[in-house]
Amino acid sequence: MYRYDEFDHAFVAERVAQFRDQVERRLSGELSEDAFKPLRLMNGVYLQLHAYMLRIAIPYGTLNSKQMRMLAHVARTYDRGYGHFTTRQNLQFNWPKLSDMPNVLAELASVEMHAIQTSGNCIRNVTADHFAGAAADEVADPRPYAEILRQWSSVHPEFSFLPRKFKIAVTGAERDRAAIQVHDIGLHLKKNDKGEIGFAVYVGGGQGRTPMVAKLIREFLPEEDLLSYTTAVMRVYNLHGRRDNKYKARIKILVHETGAEELARQVEVEFAQLRDTELKLPEADVAAISAYFAPPALAERAEGWESLARWKKADPDFARWVQQNVQPHKNPDYGMVTISLKPIGGIPGDATDSQMDAVADIAEEYALDEIRVSHEQNLILPHVALADLEPVYRALVAHGLATANAGLITDIIACPGLDYCALANARSIPVAQEISSRFGSPERQEEIGELKIKISGCINACGHHHVGHIGLLGVEKKGAELYQITLGGSGDEHTSIGEIIGRGFEPNKVTDAIETIVDTYLGLRLDKSETFLAAYRRVGPQPFKDALYGGSTAEAA
Amino acid sequence: MTKIWKETGFVKNDPWVIETEETKATESQKPLLPLDALIARAEESNDVGLGVLIKPADDVRKLEPYLDRLEIVAVAFPAFNDGRAFSHASLLRQRLGYANELRAVGDVLIDQVPLMLRVGIDSFAVTNETALKRLAENRLPGIPHHYQPTVRTADDPGSYSWRRVSRTIS
Repeated sequence: MYRYDEFDHAFVAERVAQFRDQVERRLSGELSEDAFKPLRLMNGVYLQLHAYMLRIAIPYGTLNSKQMRMLAHVARTYDRGYGHFTTRQNLQFNWPKLSDMPNVLAELASVEMHAIQTSGNCIRNVTADHFAGAAADEVADPRPYAEILRQWSSVHPEFSFLPRKFKIAVTGAERDRAAIQVHDIGLHLKKNDKGEIGFAVYVGGGQGRTPMVAKLIREFLPEEDLLSYTTAVMRVYNLHGRRDNKYKARIKILVHETGAEELARQVEVEFAQLRDTELKLPEADVAAISAYFAPPALAERAEGWESLARWKKADPDFARWVQQNVQPHKNPDYGMVTISLKPIGGIPGDATDSQMDAVADIAEEYALDEIRVSHEQNLILPHVALADLEPVYRALVAHGLATANAGLITDIIACPGLDYCALANARSIPVAQEISSRFGSPERQEEIGELKIKISGCINACGHHHVGHIGLLGVEKKGAELYQITLGGSGDEHTSIGEIIGRGFEPNKVTDAIETIVDTYLGLRLDKSETFLAAYRRVGPQPFKDALYGGSTAEAA
Repeated sequence: MTKIWKETGFVKNDPWVIETEETKATESQKPLLPLDALIARAEESNDVGLGVLIKPADDVRKLEPYLDRLEIVAVAFPAFNDGRAFSHASLLRQRLGYANELRAVGDVLIDQVPLMLRVGIDSFAVTNETALKRLAENRLPGIPHHYQPTVRTADDPGSYSWRRVSRTIS
């Protein structure tokens, strides 16, 4: 993985000092909360319902054991002993004191971490496929490009006061695990007929109150033009993105109102001027950054095949966990392990300090010291020998981290909701907990198969409900919380926005409604291999509407 | 009280005025013309030493034919969070090659000044008290290590092509 050099260390230290000065001015009263707000946001500090919240960047979701232990230390020392992994592969602490923040940031800097641009109207943490560098279906590792973009976008003088936040995601595989089509810019790494690396560029995807699937504006952008082309997109957006209404300020609205073709033309005009400037990436630089992400030397561990078969036979729980949470690695002696942060009835994405320490220990001992955060709020050990799966499993079990539900109905994404968030209309966490408990039986989950439930506590859609196979959106109606259900959303290479199925449900009825939907699916699927999403795409919403609302005409809440 | 600051210090007797209904340039002062008025004036006369005020929605590229007649371009930051003038400044300096004075006017705050310097703004109309105080003490809250090449002269640290170090922003 990437390691800071002297330059990076100096930069982050300078940024911490700069933020310390800003916090001191706030604490002394020299800065009003209004004036401080944009400054703290640029460094990941939010003011939430009960306290300040600090969001720490985990670039493209990659971290090592030392960094994970630091997160555990911060949770223990400055917070209440836990942290929350987010859908943008970051980590949030919900209870730190403002006066402690500079010290937290200085501690993070000591392990090459920061909170730069995890918030604010700037280019946010660049995300990537959580299986990068390990997946069998990868054209190239997306992380070197994500890292180059991370560096280039850090405290960018021209693009720090954009109309709205800006999110970039990169994937290197045909199977899109980074949801690039619901990002402001989505980059899909590919090779042209000459075998050269480049990107298909998607622009203007996003969720929030106006969900849109991104438009392809360039089929193939050569690798060397990554920064000049991105600069062109950013400049067109900075100059022309709407600033009159914050709900219409994302680039998706500009793309929609301008038209994708016209926007692509404007970008090309700007790009033509920028292409042969100092923004062009020298091959040597790409090679040097890529070297940090060179595939690890994996020892031959063929003995794992035989052991694995034996262990599976001996322990059905272990077998189920392997079946659900371990995926094929490009090296057949290895697997990619998903550590579920979705215990049955638990809070999606939360981890305690001791769990973080445990994951760090396991990664160090068995997984080449590498950990990933997935946008589905789980942790990943990307390189685990099959021969080590049993001890890894035992260690995870000991810390409540071995729930065998990756991709299943209880692997729920949920935003923090009204329990923490100042924007929320509804409480997402208790709803997620109740659904998880209702469907918690392993046999039942397995029978249902792949099903992604995503819950947002308000229209800002942090819980990605628009791309949930089943999406739940908390709304406020006449002073009461209500959950609107969408069906058929998906955030992969066949991205679709879920459709509202009908009027919303009260919090105490929503789990029953989910059960009705699931039972309807089980009744109409062709066979077990037809997933919920495939079945929905085949039959459409009507059978689900009938089941939920009977004959009555269902009107959207 | 608005003061004009440059890296060499505060400027006395600055002549440039943004005209309003109430305020007009006196004989010893000069107006920062709106873009349309500047173009009209330049087309109708051979005047040089002109000043123009670029508002956020203006297309700065329209200045191209008149650059050698401009003594100053002011770019407006109506609010600290309106970042369009950063792109205007970048285009003026890098695309159009404008070399005379480039001034930030409006909501000019101390925490933005280092970024403004980097995109080529070299003159600042400052009203904010904290900003005035910090500028007087020459305490800019900037970061000298940069991950982007910009128009402002900075050292190439001999690292990746996009990195720069400036000795003067600190």
